[in-house]
Amino acid sequence: MNTKSLKLKAQLNIAKYLEVAKISYSNVSTYFSNVFVKSVTVVVRIWIFTQLYSVTYIVSGVSSVGGLTVPMAIWTLTLVQSFQTASRPGVMRVIDEEVKSGNIAYSLGKPYSYILFHYFNHMGKIVPNLFWNLLISGFATLFLVGSVMPKFEGVIFGVILLFFGYTLDFLITFSLGLLAFWVEDTSAFVWLYSKGQMVLGGLVLPIALFPNYLQKIVEFLPFSQFFYSAAQTIVSFDLAKTFFFIEVQLTWIVVFIFITKFLFLKGGKNVSINGG
Amino acid sequence: MSQSTVDKYFWLSFEMIKSNVMTAMEYRTSFLIQVVGMIVNDVGLILIWVIFFQKFPAINGWSFSDSAMLFAITTSSFGILMTLCRGAYSISETITKGGLDYFLALPKNVLWHITVSKSDSSAIGDFFFGLGMFFLTTNPDLQHFFMYIGYTVLASTIMFGFILVTQSLTFWLGNFQEASEQIFHLLVGFTLYPQSVFHGAMKIFMLTLVPGFFVATVPVEIIKNFDPVLFFLMVGYAMGIVTLGISLFHLGLRRYESGNLLGSQI
Repeated sequence: MNTKSLKLKAQLNIAKYLEVAKISYSNVSTYFSNVFVKSVTVVVRIWIFTQLYSVTYIVSGVSSVGGLTVPMAIWTLTLVQSFQTASRPGVMRVIDEEVKSGNIAYSLGKPYSYILFHYFNHMGKIVPNLFWNLLISGFATLFLVGSVMPKFEGVIFGVILLFFGYTLDFLITFSLGLLAFWVEDTSAFVWLYSKGQMVLGGLVLPIALFPNYLQKIVEFLPFSQFFYSAAQTIVSFDLAKTFFFIEVQLTWIVVFIFITKFLFLKGGKNVSINGG
Repeated sequence: MSQSTVDKYFWLSFEMIKSNVMTAMEYRTSFLIQVVGMIVNDVGLILIWVIFFQKFPAINGWSFSDSAMLFAITTSSFGILMTLCRGAYSISETITKGGLDYFLALPKNVLWHITVSKSDSSAIGDFFFGLGMFFLTTNPDLQHFFMYIGYTVLASTIMFGFILVTQSLTFWLGNFQEASEQIFHLLVGFTLYPQSVFHGAMKIFMLTLVPGFFVATVPVEIIKNFDPVLFFLMVGYAMGIVTLGISLFHLGLRRYESGNLLGSQI
Protein backbone atom coordinates (compact mmCIF):
# COMPACT_ATOMS: atom_id res chain seq x y z
CA MET A 1 0.00 0.00 0.00
CA ASN A 2 1.53 3.33 -0.97
CA THR A 3 1.86 6.36 1.32
CA LYS A 4 -1.00 8.22 -0.32
CA SER A 5 -3.56 5.46 0.22
CA LEU A 6 -2.33 4.95 3.79
CA LYS A 7 -2.84 8.66 4.48
CA LEU A 8 -6.31 8.51 2.93
CA LYS A 9 -7.19 5.47 5.03
CA ALA A 10 -6.02 7.25 8.17
CA GLN A 11 -8.05 10.30 7.24
CA LEU A 12 -11.23 8.32 6.71
CA ASN A 13 -11.06 6.41 9.99
CA ILE A 14 -14.44 7.45 11.38
CA ALA A 15 -13.76 6.31 14.98
CA LYS A 16 -11.31 9.11 15.66
CA TYR A 17 -13.72 11.74 14.36
CA LEU A 18 -16.37 10.40 16.72
CA GLU A 19 -13.80 10.82 19.50
CA VAL A 20 -13.27 14.42 18.36
CA ALA A 21 -17.04 15.01 18.56
CA LYS A 22 -17.11 13.42 22.03
CA ILE A 23 -14.31 15.63 23.35
CA SER A 24 -15.96 18.70 21.90
CA TYR A 25 -19.27 17.64 23.53
CA SER A 26 -17.53 17.31 26.91
CA ASN A 27 -15.81 20.69 26.51
CA VAL A 28 -19.12 22.46 26.01
CA SER A 29 -20.96 20.52 28.73
CA THR A 30 -18.28 21.41 31.31
CA TYR A 31 -19.24 25.08 31.22
CA PHE A 32 -22.90 24.59 32.02
CA SER A 33 -23.52 28.27 32.87
CA ASN A 34 -22.69 29.14 29.26
CA VAL A 35 -25.07 26.50 27.88
CA PHE A 36 -27.80 27.47 30.33
CA VAL A 37 -27.65 31.22 29.66
CA LYS A 38 -27.74 30.55 25.91
CA SER A 39 -30.99 28.61 26.43
CA VAL A 40 -32.41 31.36 28.63
CA THR A 41 -31.73 33.96 25.94
CA VAL A 42 -33.74 31.81 23.53
CA VAL A 43 -36.59 31.79 26.07
CA VAL A 44 -36.56 35.59 26.31
CA ARG A 45 -36.64 35.87 22.52
CA ILE A 46 -39.60 33.48 22.41
CA TRP A 47 -41.33 35.58 25.02
CA ILE A 48 -40.76 38.67 22.85
CA PHE A 49 -42.12 36.84 19.79
CA THR A 50 -45.18 35.73 21.73
CA GLN A 51 -45.98 39.31 22.64
CA LEU A 52 -45.17 40.59 19.15
CA TYR A 53 -47.28 38.07 17.23
CA SER A 54 -50.16 37.88 19.73
CA VAL A 55 -50.62 41.65 19.63
CA THR A 56 -50.08 41.79 15.86
CA TYR A 57 -52.69 39.09 15.14
CA ILE A 58 -55.18 40.70 17.54
CA VAL A 59 -54.88 44.26 16.18
CA SER A 60 -54.98 42.93 12.60
CA GLY A 61 -58.13 40.95 13.46
CA VAL A 62 -56.85 37.65 12.07
CA SER A 63 -56.46 34.22 13.61
CA SER A 64 -54.16 32.78 10.99
CA VAL A 65 -51.71 34.30 8.50
CA GLY A 66 -50.08 32.23 5.74
CA GLY A 67 -51.54 29.10 7.36
CA LEU A 68 -49.90 29.89 10.72
CA THR A 69 -51.83 30.53 13.92
CA VAL A 70 -50.03 32.32 16.77
CA PRO A 71 -49.01 29.05 18.55
CA MET A 72 -47.76 27.60 15.24
CA ALA A 73 -45.75 30.75 14.48
CA ILE A 74 -44.23 30.75 17.97
CA TRP A 75 -43.35 27.04 17.91
CA THR A 76 -41.73 27.50 14.49
CA LEU A 77 -39.67 30.40 15.84
CA THR A 78 -38.79 28.45 19.00
CA LEU A 79 -37.38 25.62 16.94
CA VAL A 80 -35.54 27.90 14.49
CA GLN A 81 -34.02 29.91 17.36
CA SER A 82 -33.06 26.77 19.32
CA PHE A 83 -31.45 25.16 16.28
CA GLN A 84 -29.58 28.29 15.33
CA THR A 85 -28.35 29.30 18.80
CA ALA A 86 -27.03 25.78 19.41
CA SER A 87 -24.66 26.15 16.46
CA ARG A 88 -23.23 29.51 17.52
CA PRO A 89 -20.48 30.70 17.60
CA GLY A 90 -19.97 29.15 14.17
CA VAL A 91 -16.88 27.53 12.79
CA MET A 92 -16.08 30.68 10.77
CA ARG A 93 -14.30 32.40 13.65
CA VAL A 94 -12.21 29.29 14.40
CA ILE A 95 -11.03 28.84 10.81
CA ASP A 96 -10.37 32.56 10.41
CA GLU A 97 -8.17 32.55 13.54
CA GLU A 98 -6.34 29.39 12.52
CA VAL A 99 -5.53 30.83 9.11
CA LYS A 100 -4.49 34.22 10.45
CA SER A 101 -2.40 32.85 13.32
CA GLY A 102 -0.74 30.32 11.03
CA ASN A 103 -1.81 27.39 13.24
CA ILE A 104 -3.40 25.85 10.17
CA ALA A 105 0.11 24.94 8.99
CA TYR A 106 0.45 22.57 11.96
CA SER A 107 -3.11 21.25 11.73
CA LEU A 108 -2.60 20.29 8.09
CA GLY A 109 0.28 18.02 9.00
CA LYS A 110 -1.79 15.96 11.43
CA PRO A 111 -3.18 12.55 10.46
CA TYR A 112 -6.74 13.65 9.91
CA SER A 113 -8.78 15.46 7.32
CA TYR A 114 -8.83 19.12 8.35
CA ILE A 115 -12.39 19.60 7.10
CA LEU A 116 -13.76 16.41 8.72
CA PHE A 117 -12.02 17.24 12.00
CA HIS A 118 -13.78 20.61 12.18
CA TYR A 119 -17.06 19.12 11.01
CA PHE A 120 -17.18 16.58 13.85
CA ASN A 121 -15.81 19.10 16.33
CA HIS A 122 -18.63 21.48 15.37
CA MET A 123 -21.31 18.78 15.52
CA GLY A 124 -20.07 17.69 18.95
CA LYS A 125 -20.50 21.24 20.25
CA ILE A 126 -24.04 21.48 18.92
CA VAL A 127 -25.44 18.43 20.78
CA PRO A 128 -25.45 19.68 24.43
CA ASN A 129 -26.52 23.18 23.40
CA LEU A 130 -29.34 21.82 21.28
CA PHE A 131 -30.56 19.48 24.03
CA TRP A 132 -30.80 22.24 26.65
CA ASN A 133 -32.17 24.80 24.18
CA LEU A 134 -34.99 22.49 23.13
CA LEU A 135 -35.76 21.39 26.66
CA ILE A 136 -35.83 24.83 28.26
CA SER A 137 -37.35 26.80 25.38
CA GLY A 138 -39.80 23.95 24.69
CA PHE A 139 -41.17 24.18 28.23
CA ALA A 140 -41.31 27.97 28.00
CA THR A 141 -43.22 27.85 24.71
CA LEU A 142 -45.60 25.26 26.11
CA PHE A 143 -46.27 27.61 28.99
CA LEU A 144 -46.62 30.71 26.78
CA VAL A 145 -48.78 29.47 23.89
CA GLY A 146 -49.70 25.86 24.60
CA SER A 147 -48.95 22.92 22.39
CA VAL A 148 -49.23 22.18 18.68
CA MET A 149 -49.45 18.53 17.78
CA PRO A 150 -46.61 17.59 15.43
CA LYS A 151 -46.98 14.49 13.25
CA PHE A 152 -44.57 11.61 13.83
CA GLU A 153 -43.37 11.72 10.18
CA GLY A 154 -42.90 15.48 10.54
CA VAL A 155 -40.52 14.99 13.47
CA ILE A 156 -38.54 12.25 11.65
CA PHE A 157 -38.19 14.34 8.47
CA GLY A 158 -37.51 17.42 10.58
CA VAL A 159 -34.51 15.69 12.18
CA ILE A 160 -33.20 14.69 8.74
CA LEU A 161 -33.64 18.24 7.44
CA LEU A 162 -31.94 19.62 10.54
CA PHE A 163 -28.95 17.34 10.05
CA PHE A 164 -28.60 18.49 6.44
CA GLY A 165 -29.19 22.08 7.55
CA TYR A 166 -26.32 21.93 10.07
CA THR A 167 -24.10 20.36 7.40
CA LEU A 168 -24.94 23.11 4.92
CA ASP A 169 -24.40 25.81 7.54
CA PHE A 170 -21.03 24.23 8.41
CA LEU A 171 -19.90 24.10 4.78
CA ILE A 172 -20.79 27.75 4.14
CA THR A 173 -19.25 29.07 7.37
CA PHE A 174 -16.15 26.95 6.78
CA SER A 175 -15.79 28.42 3.25
CA LEU A 176 -16.25 31.95 4.59
CA GLY A 177 -13.59 31.29 7.25
CA LEU A 178 -11.21 30.11 4.53
CA LEU A 179 -11.52 33.53 2.86
CA ALA A 180 -9.03 34.65 5.53
CA PHE A 181 -6.39 33.29 3.14
CA TRP A 182 -7.11 36.25 0.89
CA VAL A 183 -8.70 39.01 3.00
CA GLU A 184 -7.33 40.39 6.27
CA ASP A 185 -10.59 40.27 8.20
CA THR A 186 -13.57 38.06 7.46
CA SER A 187 -15.87 39.54 10.10
CA ALA A 188 -17.82 41.57 7.52
CA PHE A 189 -18.77 38.28 5.84
CA VAL A 190 -19.85 36.92 9.23
CA TRP A 191 -22.31 39.79 9.73
CA LEU A 192 -23.68 39.61 6.23
CA TYR A 193 -24.14 35.87 6.56
CA SER A 194 -25.83 36.17 9.95
CA LYS A 195 -28.09 38.96 8.71
CA GLY A 196 -28.98 36.87 5.66
CA GLN A 197 -29.99 34.14 8.09
CA MET A 198 -31.90 36.56 10.28
CA VAL A 199 -33.91 38.15 7.47
CA LEU A 200 -34.30 35.26 5.02
CA GLY A 201 -33.88 32.35 7.41
CA GLY A 202 -37.07 32.91 9.39
CA LEU A 203 -35.32 33.74 12.66
CA VAL A 204 -37.57 36.70 13.47
CA LEU A 205 -40.28 36.66 10.85
CA PRO A 206 -41.60 33.24 9.80
CA ILE A 207 -41.23 32.84 6.03
CA ALA A 208 -44.91 31.86 5.84
CA LEU A 209 -45.70 35.50 6.72
CA PHE A 210 -43.65 36.86 3.79
CA PRO A 211 -45.46 38.15 0.70
CA ASN A 212 -46.03 35.22 -1.70
CA TYR A 213 -43.54 36.30 -4.36
CA LEU A 214 -40.78 36.66 -1.75
CA GLN A 215 -41.64 33.35 -0.11
CA LYS A 216 -41.10 31.52 -3.39
CA ILE A 217 -37.67 33.10 -3.91
CA VAL A 218 -36.55 32.62 -0.30
CA GLU A 219 -37.37 28.90 -0.28
CA PHE A 220 -34.77 28.33 -2.99
CA LEU A 221 -32.02 30.14 -1.06
CA PRO A 222 -29.75 28.33 1.40
CA PHE A 223 -30.69 30.65 4.31
CA SER A 224 -34.16 29.16 4.69
CA GLN A 225 -32.72 25.66 4.44
CA PHE A 226 -30.49 25.77 7.51
CA PHE A 227 -33.12 25.62 10.22
CA TYR A 228 -36.44 26.98 8.99
CA SER A 229 -37.29 24.07 6.69
CA ALA A 230 -36.76 21.62 9.58
CA ALA A 231 -38.86 23.73 11.96
CA GLN A 232 -41.69 24.14 9.45
CA THR A 233 -41.71 20.42 8.71
CA ILE A 234 -42.00 19.58 12.41
CA VAL A 235 -44.76 22.12 13.10
CA SER A 236 -46.84 21.74 9.93
CA PHE A 237 -45.83 18.64 8.01
CA ASP A 238 -46.38 18.52 4.25
CA LEU A 239 -44.71 15.60 2.44
CA ALA A 240 -44.39 17.31 -0.97
CA LYS A 241 -42.87 20.40 0.61
CA THR A 242 -40.49 18.25 2.69
CA PHE A 243 -39.13 16.52 -0.42
CA PHE A 244 -38.74 19.90 -2.07
CA PHE A 245 -36.73 21.12 0.96
CA ILE A 246 -34.51 18.03 0.86
CA GLU A 247 -33.85 18.54 -2.85
CA VAL A 248 -32.90 22.19 -2.32
CA GLN A 249 -30.72 21.32 0.68
CA LEU A 250 -28.86 18.53 -1.10
CA THR A 251 -28.27 20.73 -4.15
CA TRP A 252 -26.72 23.45 -1.97
CA ILE A 253 -24.70 20.88 -0.01
CA VAL A 254 -23.18 19.51 -3.23
CA VAL A 255 -22.45 23.05 -4.46
CA PHE A 256 -20.75 24.01 -1.20
CA ILE A 257 -18.77 20.77 -0.94
CA PHE A 258 -17.15 21.77 -4.22
CA ILE A 259 -16.66 25.39 -3.14
CA THR A 260 -15.17 24.36 0.23
CA LYS A 261 -12.84 21.84 -1.36
CA PHE A 262 -11.78 24.35 -4.01
CA LEU A 263 -11.08 27.14 -1.50
CA PHE A 264 -9.30 24.74 0.83
CA LEU A 265 -6.99 23.40 -1.90
CA LYS A 266 -6.33 26.85 -3.32
CA GLY A 267 -5.79 28.46 0.10
CA GLY A 268 -3.69 25.50 1.29
CA LYS A 269 -1.15 26.30 -1.39
CA ASN A 270 -0.47 29.58 0.42
CA VAL A 271 0.57 27.70 3.55
CA SER A 272 4.26 27.16 4.04
CA ILE A 273 6.07 25.90 7.11
CA ASN A 274 9.30 27.58 7.98
CA GLY A 275 11.56 25.83 10.41
CA GLY A 276 12.83 27.42 13.60
CA MET B 1 -10.71 62.91 41.26
CA SER B 2 -9.00 66.25 40.63
CA GLN B 3 -9.54 68.31 37.49
CA SER B 4 -6.04 67.60 36.20
CA THR B 5 -6.59 63.83 36.58
CA VAL B 6 -9.86 64.06 34.64
CA ASP B 7 -8.07 66.06 31.93
CA LYS B 8 -5.26 63.55 31.82
CA TYR B 9 -7.64 60.59 31.43
CA PHE B 10 -9.66 62.44 28.82
CA TRP B 11 -6.64 63.14 26.62
CA LEU B 12 -5.21 59.68 27.22
CA SER B 13 -8.54 58.15 26.15
CA PHE B 14 -8.55 60.36 23.08
CA GLU B 15 -5.03 59.24 22.15
CA MET B 16 -5.76 55.54 22.80
CA ILE B 17 -8.94 55.57 20.71
CA LYS B 18 -7.25 57.57 17.96
CA SER B 19 -4.42 55.07 17.90
CA ASN B 20 -6.87 52.12 17.78
CA VAL B 21 -8.80 53.65 14.87
CA MET B 22 -5.62 54.67 13.01
CA THR B 23 -4.26 51.13 13.41
CA ALA B 24 -7.45 49.73 11.90
CA MET B 25 -7.29 52.29 9.08
CA GLU B 26 -3.76 51.18 8.24
CA TYR B 27 -5.36 48.16 6.54
CA ARG B 28 -7.43 50.37 4.30
CA THR B 29 -9.33 47.73 2.30
CA SER B 30 -10.19 45.73 5.40
CA PHE B 31 -11.30 48.91 7.19
CA LEU B 32 -13.58 49.91 4.33
CA ILE B 33 -15.01 46.39 4.00
CA GLN B 34 -15.80 46.48 7.73
CA VAL B 35 -17.47 49.88 7.74
CA VAL B 36 -19.45 49.34 4.53
CA GLY B 37 -20.19 45.73 5.56
CA MET B 38 -21.70 46.97 8.82
CA ILE B 39 -23.89 49.51 7.01
CA VAL B 40 -25.16 46.75 4.68
CA ASN B 41 -25.67 44.56 7.76
CA ASP B 42 -27.86 47.23 9.38
CA VAL B 43 -29.80 47.72 6.15
CA GLY B 44 -30.50 43.96 6.35
CA LEU B 45 -31.94 44.39 9.83
CA ILE B 46 -34.33 47.13 8.82
CA LEU B 47 -35.45 44.99 5.85
CA ILE B 48 -37.19 42.63 8.28
CA TRP B 49 -39.43 45.49 9.33
CA VAL B 50 -40.00 46.65 5.77
CA ILE B 51 -41.43 43.17 5.10
CA PHE B 52 -43.28 43.06 8.43
CA PHE B 53 -45.00 46.44 8.06
CA GLN B 54 -46.01 45.56 4.49
CA LYS B 55 -48.11 42.77 6.01
CA PHE B 56 -49.18 44.61 9.19
CA PRO B 57 -49.08 48.41 8.59
CA ALA B 58 -49.41 49.56 12.24
CA ILE B 59 -49.24 47.82 15.63
CA ASN B 60 -50.85 49.75 18.48
CA GLY B 61 -49.95 53.06 16.82
CA TRP B 62 -46.38 51.95 16.03
CA SER B 63 -45.52 52.20 12.34
CA PHE B 64 -42.43 51.76 10.21
CA SER B 65 -41.29 55.36 10.84
CA ASP B 66 -41.12 54.60 14.59
CA SER B 67 -39.02 51.51 13.92
CA ALA B 68 -36.76 53.62 11.70
CA MET B 69 -36.26 56.14 14.52
CA LEU B 70 -35.60 53.29 16.94
CA PHE B 71 -32.91 51.96 14.61
CA ALA B 72 -31.44 55.46 14.19
CA ILE B 73 -30.92 55.82 17.95
CA THR B 74 -29.87 52.28 18.82
CA THR B 75 -27.43 51.67 15.95
CA SER B 76 -25.76 55.03 16.61
CA SER B 77 -25.49 54.36 20.34
CA PHE B 78 -24.09 50.90 19.67
CA GLY B 79 -21.65 52.52 17.22
CA ILE B 80 -20.44 55.07 19.77
CA LEU B 81 -20.08 52.41 22.45
CA MET B 82 -18.12 49.95 20.35
CA THR B 83 -15.86 52.59 18.81
CA LEU B 84 -14.93 54.11 22.17
CA CYS B 85 -15.26 51.26 24.66
CA ARG B 86 -14.97 47.96 22.78
CA GLY B 87 -12.51 46.71 25.42
CA ALA B 88 -15.28 46.57 28.04
CA TYR B 89 -17.03 43.97 25.90
CA SER B 90 -13.90 41.78 26.20
CA ILE B 91 -13.55 41.90 30.01
CA SER B 92 -14.82 38.35 30.36
CA GLU B 93 -12.49 37.05 27.66
CA THR B 94 -9.58 38.99 29.20
CA ILE B 95 -10.22 37.45 32.61
CA THR B 96 -10.78 33.91 31.30
CA LYS B 97 -7.65 33.93 29.14
CA GLY B 98 -5.49 35.40 31.91
CA GLY B 99 -4.97 38.68 30.08
CA LEU B 100 -5.92 40.83 33.07
CA ASP B 101 -2.44 40.55 34.59
CA TYR B 102 -1.07 42.74 31.82
CA PHE B 103 -3.43 45.59 32.77
CA LEU B 104 -2.79 45.13 36.49
CA ALA B 105 0.89 45.78 35.98
CA LEU B 106 0.29 49.19 34.40
CA PRO B 107 0.02 52.47 36.36
CA LYS B 108 -3.40 53.64 35.12
CA ASN B 109 -6.86 52.62 36.29
CA VAL B 110 -7.44 48.98 35.27
CA LEU B 111 -11.07 49.33 34.17
CA TRP B 112 -10.35 52.47 32.16
CA HIS B 113 -7.39 50.81 30.47
CA ILE B 114 -9.29 47.66 29.47
CA THR B 115 -12.23 49.75 28.24
CA VAL B 116 -10.25 51.91 25.83
CA SER B 117 -7.76 49.21 24.85
CA LYS B 118 -9.85 48.19 21.85
CA SER B 119 -12.01 49.92 19.27
CA ASP B 120 -14.29 48.19 16.85
CA SER B 121 -13.79 50.01 13.58
CA SER B 122 -16.88 48.43 12.03
CA ALA B 123 -18.97 50.25 14.66
CA ILE B 124 -18.24 53.46 12.79
CA GLY B 125 -20.52 51.98 10.12
CA ASP B 126 -23.25 51.53 12.75
CA PHE B 127 -22.95 55.15 13.79
CA PHE B 128 -23.22 56.44 10.23
CA PHE B 129 -26.10 54.11 9.46
CA GLY B 130 -27.99 55.50 12.48
CA LEU B 131 -27.22 59.05 11.47
CA GLY B 132 -28.41 58.33 7.92
CA MET B 133 -31.63 56.79 9.23
CA PHE B 134 -32.25 59.85 11.37
CA PHE B 135 -31.92 62.24 8.44
CA LEU B 136 -33.95 60.00 6.15
CA THR B 137 -36.87 59.39 8.46
CA THR B 138 -37.41 62.56 10.49
CA ASN B 139 -37.67 66.25 10.13
CA PRO B 140 -34.01 67.02 10.82
CA ASP B 141 -34.22 70.44 12.49
CA LEU B 142 -31.51 71.52 14.91
CA GLN B 143 -33.61 70.80 18.02
CA HIS B 144 -34.38 67.23 16.98
CA PHE B 145 -30.79 66.68 15.95
CA PHE B 146 -29.48 67.67 19.38
CA MET B 147 -32.14 65.53 21.04
CA TYR B 148 -31.11 62.59 18.87
CA ILE B 149 -27.41 63.04 19.76
CA GLY B 150 -28.21 63.43 23.47
CA TYR B 151 -30.40 60.31 23.69
CA THR B 152 -27.89 58.37 21.64
CA VAL B 153 -25.12 59.20 24.11
CA LEU B 154 -27.40 58.36 27.05
CA ALA B 155 -28.40 55.02 25.51
CA SER B 156 -24.76 54.11 24.88
CA THR B 157 -23.95 54.98 28.51
CA ILE B 158 -26.67 52.56 29.66
CA MET B 159 -25.36 49.86 27.31
CA PHE B 160 -21.86 50.45 28.69
CA GLY B 161 -23.07 50.05 32.29
CA PHE B 162 -24.95 46.89 31.36
CA ILE B 163 -21.86 45.44 29.68
CA LEU B 164 -19.79 46.16 32.81
CA VAL B 165 -22.33 44.37 35.00
CA THR B 166 -22.62 41.25 32.81
CA GLN B 167 -18.93 40.98 31.95
CA SER B 168 -17.86 41.45 35.58
CA LEU B 169 -19.92 38.41 36.60
CA THR B 170 -17.03 36.36 35.17
CA PHE B 171 -15.12 37.04 38.39
CA TRP B 172 -17.67 34.90 40.21
CA LEU B 173 -18.93 32.51 37.54
CA GLY B 174 -15.72 31.47 35.74
CA ASN B 175 -15.98 31.05 31.98
CA PHE B 176 -18.90 33.39 31.27
CA GLN B 177 -17.71 34.86 27.99
CA GLU B 178 -20.29 33.43 25.60
CA ALA B 179 -23.08 33.89 28.12
CA SER B 180 -22.26 37.56 28.76
CA GLU B 181 -22.17 38.19 25.00
CA GLN B 182 -25.55 36.48 24.62
CA ILE B 183 -27.05 38.60 27.41
CA PHE B 184 -25.81 41.78 25.73
CA HIS B 185 -27.25 40.59 22.42
CA LEU B 186 -30.51 40.09 24.26
CA LEU B 187 -30.51 43.78 25.17
CA VAL B 188 -29.66 44.70 21.59
CA GLY B 189 -32.42 42.32 20.51
CA PHE B 190 -35.03 44.38 22.39
CA THR B 191 -34.13 47.35 20.26
CA LEU B 192 -35.27 45.52 17.13
CA TYR B 193 -38.95 45.19 17.87
CA PRO B 194 -41.92 47.56 17.83
CA GLN B 195 -41.94 48.74 21.43
CA SER B 196 -45.74 49.07 21.53
CA VAL B 197 -46.22 45.30 21.70
CA PHE B 198 -44.51 44.82 25.06
CA HIS B 199 -46.79 44.55 28.06
CA GLY B 200 -47.21 42.90 31.46
CA ALA B 201 -44.27 41.05 32.99
CA MET B 202 -42.15 41.74 29.90
CA LYS B 203 -42.30 45.46 30.66
CA ILE B 204 -41.05 44.79 34.21
CA PHE B 205 -38.29 42.59 32.78
CA MET B 206 -37.25 45.42 30.43
CA LEU B 207 -37.23 47.86 33.31
CA THR B 208 -35.07 45.73 35.55
CA LEU B 209 -32.98 42.77 34.41
CA VAL B 210 -32.36 43.76 30.78
CA PRO B 211 -32.82 47.53 30.37
CA GLY B 212 -34.42 47.46 26.92
CA PHE B 213 -37.01 50.00 28.09
CA PHE B 214 -34.31 52.62 28.72
CA VAL B 215 -32.30 52.10 25.54
CA ALA B 216 -35.18 51.57 23.13
CA THR B 217 -38.66 52.58 24.35
CA VAL B 218 -37.85 55.82 26.21
CA PRO B 219 -35.64 57.53 23.60
CA VAL B 220 -38.22 57.05 20.83
CA GLU B 221 -41.04 58.17 23.14
CA ILE B 222 -39.32 61.38 24.25
CA ILE B 223 -38.05 62.29 20.82
CA LYS B 224 -41.71 62.12 19.65
CA ASN B 225 -43.20 63.84 22.71
CA PHE B 226 -40.82 65.20 25.30
CA ASP B 227 -41.63 63.99 28.80
CA PRO B 228 -39.34 65.36 31.57
CA VAL B 229 -40.17 62.45 33.91
CA LEU B 230 -39.05 59.86 31.36
CA PHE B 231 -35.98 61.95 30.53
CA PHE B 232 -34.81 62.17 34.14
CA LEU B 233 -35.62 58.50 34.63
CA MET B 234 -33.32 57.70 31.74
CA VAL B 235 -30.52 59.91 33.10
CA GLY B 236 -30.91 58.42 36.59
CA TYR B 237 -30.88 54.88 35.25
CA ALA B 238 -27.74 55.58 33.19
CA MET B 239 -25.91 56.90 36.25
CA GLY B 240 -27.13 54.02 38.40
CA ILE B 241 -26.16 51.19 36.08
CA VAL B 242 -22.70 52.63 35.34
CA THR B 243 -22.06 53.00 39.07
CA LEU B 244 -23.24 49.42 39.64
CA GLY B 245 -21.02 48.15 36.81
CA ILE B 246 -17.92 49.93 38.10
CA SER B 247 -18.56 48.72 41.67
CA LEU B 248 -19.07 45.12 40.53
CA PHE B 249 -15.87 45.21 38.50
CA HIS B 250 -13.81 46.46 41.43
CA LEU B 251 -15.45 44.03 43.83
CA GLY B 252 -14.65 41.21 41.44
CA LEU B 253 -11.11 42.44 40.91
CA ARG B 254 -10.46 41.91 44.61
CA ARG B 255 -11.28 38.22 44.17
CA TYR B 256 -9.12 37.90 41.07
CA GLU B 257 -6.09 35.67 41.20
CA SER B 258 -3.50 35.76 38.45
CA GLY B 259 -4.20 33.69 35.36
CA ASN B 260 -0.48 32.74 35.41
CA LEU B 261 -0.49 33.00 31.65
CA LEU B 262 2.90 33.20 30.03
CA GLY B 263 2.96 35.25 26.87
CA SER B 264 3.84 38.57 25.41
CA GLN B 265 1.56 41.57 24.90
CA ILE B 266 2.73 43.82 22.13
